[in-house]
Amino acid sequence: MEQVIQFILSGLSQGGVYALVAIGFYMMWSATHAANFTHGDVFMLGAVSTVVFGEIGVPLILAMPLGIAVSAVAGALIERIAVRPFNHGPSSIGWMLTTIAIGLMLESALTATYGPLGRPLYSPFAQSPIRIGGSGIYAQELLIPAVAIGLMVLLELFYRHTILGRAMLAVAANPTAAGLMGINVSRIALIAYAMAGAVGALGGILLAPVSEASSSMGALIGLKAFVVAIVAGISNARGVVIVSLGYGILEKFIEGYISTAARNSIGFGILILLLLAFPNGIFGKREVSKV
Amino acid sequence: MTPRLQFWLVLVLGIAGLYLFREMGPTNYAIGVLTRCLILAIVAIGLNILIGQAGLVSLGQAAIYGVGSYFAAWLALRAGFGFIPAVASGIVAASLVGAALAYPSVRVRGVYLAVITIAFGLIFQNVLIEWVPVTGGTLGLTGIPRGEAFGVRLTRQIYFWVAAGCLVFAFILQYNLTYSRYGRAMRATAQSANAASALGINVANTRMFAFVVSAALAGLAGGLYTFLNLFVNFETFTFFQSISFLLMVIFGGVGTLTGPLVGAGILTYVPELFQEFKEWQTFAYGAMLAIVMFVMPAGIVGSLGTLADRLTSKARSRQSGAWPAADALPKDTTKPSATGSLVADVKGYTIVFGGLTAVSQASMRVEAGKVHGLIGPNGAGKSSLLNLMSGFYTPTAGSMSLLGQDTTGWKAHDLARAGLARTFQNTELFGDMTVLENVLVGFHGHYKTTLIETLLRLPRFGREEKAMAAEAASLLALVGLSDYSDELAKNLPFGHQRRLEIARALATRPKLILLDEPAAGLTHGEIEQLKVLIRLLTERGVAVVLVEHHVDMVMSLSNEVTVLDYGEVIASGPAAQVQDDPRVMEAYFGSGAALEDMRKLAETAGAVA
Repeated sequence: MEQVIQFILSGLSQGGVYALVAIGFYMMWSATHAANFTHGDVFMLGAVSTVVFGEIGVPLILAMPLGIAVSAVAGALIERIAVRPFNHGPSSIGWMLTTIAIGLMLESALTATYGPLGRPLYSPFAQSPIRIGGSGIYAQELLIPAVAIGLMVLLELFYRHTILGRAMLAVAANPTAAGLMGINVSRIALIAYAMAGAVGALGGILLAPVSEASSSMGALIGLKAFVVAIVAGISNARGVVIVSLGYGILEKFIEGYISTAARNSIGFGILILLLLAFPNGIFGKREVSKV
Repeated sequence: MTPRLQFWLVLVLGIAGLYLFREMGPTNYAIGVLTRCLILAIVAIGLNILIGQAGLVSLGQAAIYGVGSYFAAWLALRAGFGFIPAVASGIVAASLVGAALAYPSVRVRGVYLAVITIAFGLIFQNVLIEWVPVTGGTLGLTGIPRGEAFGVRLTRQIYFWVAAGCLVFAFILQYNLTYSRYGRAMRATAQSANAASALGINVANTRMFAFVVSAALAGLAGGLYTFLNLFVNFETFTFFQSISFLLMVIFGGVGTLTGPLVGAGILTYVPELFQEFKEWQTFAYGAMLAIVMFVMPAGIVGSLGTLADRLTSKARSRQSGAWPAADALPKDTTKPSATGSLVADVKGYTIVFGGLTAVSQASMRVEAGKVHGLIGPNGAGKSSLLNLMSGFYTPTAGSMSLLGQDTTGWKAHDLARAGLARTFQNTELFGDMTVLENVLVGFHGHYKTTLIETLLRLPRFGREEKAMAAEAASLLALVGLSDYSDELAKNLPFGHQRRLEIARALATRPKLILLDEPAAGLTHGEIEQLKVLIRLLTERGVAVVLVEHHVDMVMSLSNEVTVLDYGEVIASGPAAQVQDDPRVMEAYFGSGAALEDMRKLAETAGAVA
């Protein structure tokens, strides 16, 4: 029982990280029907730049927003440079290649300059574990899913109750019609990518105190988050968060009951089977192709 | 340069080049490097078919290549398989893996395949490293016996020619596939999935087929690699290698015949240059990919091709012919049912989107040789009903039969094969295919040549291709576009695009054709010509459903008219009767005083005219 609680808690933590990255995929996809394929590297950039700011003496409370800002700007730049010029309609594939190119460059440039090894980020919540029913966990780890869920609620409020949020929903539903209503579709895309970058960076910053910030921390997480978002149904924010958390827990159970080595193979295998069962995603609606 | 000429030129020059290379007495090392390059080119050709034809991206091609390689290696080591059976099994294994990955991912969106293949690549690495008893873990499988085929020991010298032979095979396969109905179907699904399925192409199967072909070629290359290296381990089949395959295709030129060969050549020799970059090596790859995408998205061969076209092509003016040219309507196009017999019978078709009932209990009988007009105010559900009838939407309730067969809820491509064709409100042509190819796609369901016959170019392939081209030519003559047949569809003026779309729909040899606002955007003269064409079709016994906003056009052509409002049929019957139906008037103009005014206005207008 103790073990089960441990798995669930640390799984929620892991899932919270996936959720914060996967929400970004949801945002980007809604705005452009494309995404930064290597969004995991923007997530990594947030964590790494926060660590770097900290190391040059910027206090944590300032380094974090700076790190988030770096990722937001990176997200916006990627949208302008790599996505927009290569995304003309549903059959475009250019954006996949350009964003992968940029991700490769970003990651290897940081490996060469920041160094291949991870460095820790200080957090008051990651000093001593708290005990819940015999299992130990850092408060920081519980903070991650809490932030993910809180952010999802905030996002839903934002989408429903602000002009900008509604404009984003309108663009997601029908960019052409939204454009005709006077919404600046291209600016919405830019904002969506910046927001996705910021949310991703937040995930990276929250994760860094428990597992260090390194240039390679983002690639795999980004990819898993993308697959998770697709399996959840990429057009449903709540579904994306739920499936992310669930997948995090699933991974911990695989690690615990089968083996750490098998985590990725079995996890991905299950995701592919889920996609087979729910081609439009578990929470996704069947897309009505406009003819 | 025509593709055919390019194909033969590259084939002959390539083989001659390989022969010369061998005559120069290269070192064993040099032979080994070039053999590896030939093998990588096979993977690149497969990926080029996937990206360039079907418009899908695989980011895990190295893993598929690895499946072929490990499978062959394991069978050779543990089961004592010889070279040919081991490689053949590798091909089968890679194809099966390809099918299993493609099946869940291509049904909804092509992009999913890219994501799933990356995931598979990671799983594969994971399995290779962890499943030590089978894969040998990080050490891999060593001591694979040198292959032997037909009693000949495959030394490096001989193996070079084995790899070269396989590459030639892959190159021929690529050409034969690209310029056949299979290639056209792939390009059609990439350019407009909707139009492709309306022409009887099963989009998901076509995409899956493309991926299986690319996986089979990767599997072949994997097996060849095993017997070249005689040692395999996980380091050859990384995500990075997948990116490198992608680079080969993009660098060479996506969708070009020779692009993958050029790309594989460059990417085999470039890494040696990149050694100097040390830890910036990955960066250099990323930068290379980015630069090609920004500066030369058509790749080397693609850019050269465009340049050559610009230098050699002479601008010539094209003349559109008079249409419809009634004599040109091919006999095969219309094998009509007897005039007046029931073609389609829609009963109570209903579709609900969320809380909105877009079409409610709509019924309609369409008879051979008759025009059935479908009108109604904006948002009345005309297009939704059309989409239901043509299989793009699945009905919530109701039933439909086509030529006596129950077709309720059938998919668009099945309905198309059963004799139902349609055009689209916003024309959906395959813009990057020629006018002639657009029409040829329409014949997809009528080809009888099998895949094997197509790949081997057996006599029946040639005969059938010729017959279809002739029929396509007369359909183009029918709509007066003969002179444009080698022009890309996207370059046609709008009115011509509408004509082409009708010709393409007729290529399916329909019994029933649904025209979704065919007159929108046409000039007055063109509308008159369109009316003549529609009459011509009905004379030949085709049933026509016409959705139009030009009410006078509908009334003058239609035998029967159905009026929709708020998703419901509010009137149905002979044109004259419907015209005077007060509910129809109300739906269009509102009721009471406004309607009176409108009537007066109409009378005055009539008097003036």
